[in-house]
Amino acid sequence: MSSADVLAIFGGALTTLLLSAAGIAAGLPIGLGMALVRWGRVPVAARGVAIYVSLLRATPLVTLVLLLFFALPNAGIPVGPISAGVLALTLNTAAFNCEIWRAALMDFPKEQIEAAQSVGMRRGLRFRRIVLPQIARVSLPGLINEMSLLIKVTPVLAVVGVVDITRAAVRIGAETYEPLPPFFVALAIYLAIVFALVSVQRWVERRQLQRAAAA
Amino acid sequence: MSQKHSVRRTLLAALAFPLALWGAIGSAQGATLEEIKKRGYMVVATEDDFRPFEFVKDGKPTGFDNEMVEALKKSAPFEIRQEILPWTGILAGVATGKYDIAITAAIITKERAQSLDFTSPIADATHYYVKKKGDSSIKSIADLSGKTVGVQAGSALLGRLPELKAMIEKAGGKMGKVVEYTSYPEAYQDLALGRTDYVVNTVINLKSLVAEKPAVFELGQPVSGKSYPAWAIKKGNTELLVFMNDFIAKQKANGTMPTLQKKWFGEAFELPVSFTPEF
Repeated sequence: MSSADVLAIFGGALTTLLLSAAGIAAGLPIGLGMALVRWGRVPVAARGVAIYVSLLRATPLVTLVLLLFFALPNAGIPVGPISAGVLALTLNTAAFNCEIWRAALMDFPKEQIEAAQSVGMRRGLRFRRIVLPQIARVSLPGLINEMSLLIKVTPVLAVVGVVDITRAAVRIGAETYEPLPPFFVALAIYLAIVFALVSVQRWVERRQLQRAAAA
Repeated sequence: MSQKHSVRRTLLAALAFPLALWGAIGSAQGATLEEIKKRGYMVVATEDDFRPFEFVKDGKPTGFDNEMVEALKKSAPFEIRQEILPWTGILAGVATGKYDIAITAAIITKERAQSLDFTSPIADATHYYVKKKGDSSIKSIADLSGKTVGVQAGSALLGRLPELKAMIEKAGGKMGKVVEYTSYPEAYQDLALGRTDYVVNTVINLKSLVAEKPAVFELGQPVSGKSYPAWAIKKGNTELLVFMNDFIAKQKANGTMPTLQKKWFGEAFELPVSFTPEF
């Protein structure tokens, strides 16, 4: 395995990171929005979200990305491997994020909302000041869990031509007929990425604890 | 509305959705030569792990087919856009019209010829088996009886295993277990680890493997009759097929194709202009 090969795996790591970051950045707020729609029992939309979540949780990511990649162009929407990949990741993770957020919302004490209402807080402010900080704290472990799953499910996108960490490693193995060394490099990179993610979680949790102690 | 009803409705709606989508999208169409010329580009799909036909070295696509794509870029009156993806999505992409042509070693089979058109063959690729170096239990086809074979899923190699089965049965034996892999690197690795006893692939791929890893693998005997790989185009796209066959004929005549065959396969082949598969 040459240094150019190692570089190729790092190139794949960049793709993995960008795809995951895009999927997380889009999937997190969409999931929250959908959870709020269900929580608030918005007519029609709440039912739509429920259907969406059951549909997407039942669809394997590989099936979803193949479907998007091959079907969208026929519907007149041009889509490349990367955009199909980001779209599939977002659609998938949003469904799971929705349920994580919803679990936190369902557990949220109604009295707090009533108290906020009684001091004249408007709905937007109520959500920002009272609801969001608390459900974010409760949801964090579940969300980070889902994010690490998302990072590790990106190799699936290789079926449409995305070259992520794993695909870059597979390519090197196919060229050198020595598949193990590139896989070790790939594993080391995944470990580093997920470790960094977990460190962020720890840092956020510690900060919350300090704040709570200070309050 | 009761909770139970609501769940059932959600489920029904979820079930109906993919079917509705199918209806909305309808069937696909590949671009004709005229459409390709008009839009100014052709989309070519190649693989990334099928050495020596196509593979990636130092981040760059190389191999026989990729050098042919380079030649095509020089001679075609339109731009060539290349997409590199694993085998799994390639023929599906051509059949749905996502790619205009698969410039990969797609072996011509009867089944594939029903939904795809094939260009003139690009190599002579009779199927062989490869075994682990020094495995003295396999010396001839008859010894393959009861042994486990590794082969790529969805491949023509898999499709033509019945031929090998007949050969083994003729020798009084019986076909062993068949293990399918997404691609060949995994199949070779499993053979090296001793999980399978032999792997079936084209003689070209296997020669390349054995040349690179002479201490691990050893080439066996042929396990099929004639077999030719070619490039695949969506069925009925006749003008594009004629265009590509002209290109291949030109590359044969000007010596490019024989030179590339020698470079990547170790020998140049006398190839038929068209091939009708028996299997």
